[in-house]
Amino acid sequence: MRLLVVGGVIAYRALFNWARPSMFVGTLLIGPLFQLLFFAYLGRQLGVADDTFYIVGNAVLSATLACVFGGTIAVSNERRWGTLGHVLLSPRPRTLIFLGRAIPYAGNGLLIAVFTLTAGSLLLGLRIPASALPGLVLTLAVGSLSCACFGLTLGALGLRFRDVWLISNVSLALMMLLTGVNVPAAHLPEWMRVVGGGLPITHAAEAARRLVAGDSLAAAGPALVREVTVGVAYAVVAAVLLKIFEAESRRRASLDTL
Amino acid sequence: MALAIEARALRRTYRTRTGWLNPRRVEIDAVRGVDLDVRRGELFGLLGPNGAGKTTTIKLLNTLLIPTAGSARVCGFDVVTQTREVRRRIGYVFGGDRGLYDRLSALDNLRYFAELYGVPAAAQKRRIGELLELVGLTGRERDRVEGYSRGMRQRLHIARGLLHEPEVLFLDEPSIGVDPVAARELRSTVAGLAATGTTVLLTTHYMAEAEELCDRIAVIAGGEIQALGTADELKHYAQGRRVLEVEAFGVTDAQVQGIAALPGVRAAGVEVIGAGQVLTVASEAAVDVQSDVLRALDGVRLGRVTARQPTLEDAYVAIVNGVDRPSVAVAA
Repeated sequence: MRLLVVGGVIAYRALFNWARPSMFVGTLLIGPLFQLLFFAYLGRQLGVADDTFYIVGNAVLSATLACVFGGTIAVSNERRWGTLGHVLLSPRPRTLIFLGRAIPYAGNGLLIAVFTLTAGSLLLGLRIPASALPGLVLTLAVGSLSCACFGLTLGALGLRFRDVWLISNVSLALMMLLTGVNVPAAHLPEWMRVVGGGLPITHAAEAARRLVAGDSLAAAGPALVREVTVGVAYAVVAAVLLKIFEAESRRRASLDTL
Repeated sequence: MALAIEARALRRTYRTRTGWLNPRRVEIDAVRGVDLDVRRGELFGLLGPNGAGKTTTIKLLNTLLIPTAGSARVCGFDVVTQTREVRRRIGYVFGGDRGLYDRLSALDNLRYFAELYGVPAAAQKRRIGELLELVGLTGRERDRVEGYSRGMRQRLHIARGLLHEPEVLFLDEPSIGVDPVAARELRSTVAGLAATGTTVLLTTHYMAEAEELCDRIAVIAGGEIQALGTADELKHYAQGRRVLEVEAFGVTDAQVQGIAALPGVRAAGVEVIGAGQVLTVASEAAVDVQSDVLRALDGVRLGRVTARQPTLEDAYVAIVNGVDRPSVAVAA
């Protein structure tokens, strides 16, 4: 447990590029808030959906920058510092070492999503029922954790492929398009809906919208379970990739271990 | 005899592929059948030129790489199949600026690796304090590593390598790029470790360091152990030679090649030191080449000329000079 929590937090401080207050506030809080406002006003102009749709969708989406990039950084930045070899020389389970790193990023994501939802609601006049708040926090936390696990998967790829940031950037754009946060899923072609269903935050956004609309947590439950499933799937994929790449590295000297 | 490290016919071939349409496969034999026995508590040196296979040998022994052929055991555990057991018992330190989390303090670096290396939570504070004291970083432990000098980083590397009290410590060129005072402190730390019973496998380019510290030394070149023994035993490789050193300013490569071709000369090399050069000429003991060498340096401004007995460095040069580079096979 210590490795998971204490190790995860120290690794976060060691590896996260935006941990400085100015970077954190500017990039992770202010940026997503303006993105929310942009889509809300664009939505008003086009008449596609109401403010609630964009406020909730973009609040869930706001966690992705910190979580996807954070998860990627949490693994592939070992390359930058030349510390990968020392981490791989640890006799402790890799799953704990690396999955523990996702937790602080998920916490980051939750903080950002709560801030964006609160600020967006205050600025645009959205009233959220108090009874929905615990469920909403849970939903945002699940979405953030799912995103961080997705980031870990990309980070694992980053151990093997130098240009993983390209994939991270494309992933963020795809999440904006395919997860139904800014474009209603019903307006997307079938194949895009299918792809979106396999991405993190798609189901969290659906659950959050239900809760804000006044539905109970039980009603939002199925979407929340789907989000958990997606997150767990990415965590498993990340763990498997890390195992494969480590074994391959020993055979083929394929990682920059030092 | 209890062995800390045993390697038998250890071999490692790197395979690389370049190009997509017309791929070329290249195979490089970095380590070609290394046999090694290091006793428990021994301070063992591994000397060799760049690309000789030192770091690859260490990576094979510390489980970061799998041998292409042969076998190795550390503290009795197989490095391929019993990695967890091996990793619990080894520490690894390498030279250079990388390998630490720059944004963290020394204390947090050590805390993190203490978690990774399984140091019990109750023992971490005491152990980290002891190590900071040992490597002389007490008082600076809360500073970010990004502000550390190379010597301080090296000492932190050593502290990190010792966190879990390893039975075997691999030191891969720990004093590279470190100033003389820091290097002396490092040597003192390493000697202290050996005195406590830790087995140390040290690779270095510095002969004086190897001679001062190591119980036994292996010279590796071309991926194979070329010589093995104590420093005094290795000096026999330079027996029957005498060494002439000439301080000079402006010796050309052509002149060095000309000197190397003189009758009786076994090897000649030039090293730049400050604004000047030191030409070192090894010759057969029975032949006095001094006058021929000075004649070959006609027109070059010269300083002190000295003749001396061969050192470990001369023996090392004698050993590695006749060795082929690692074989490279290219296939289309």
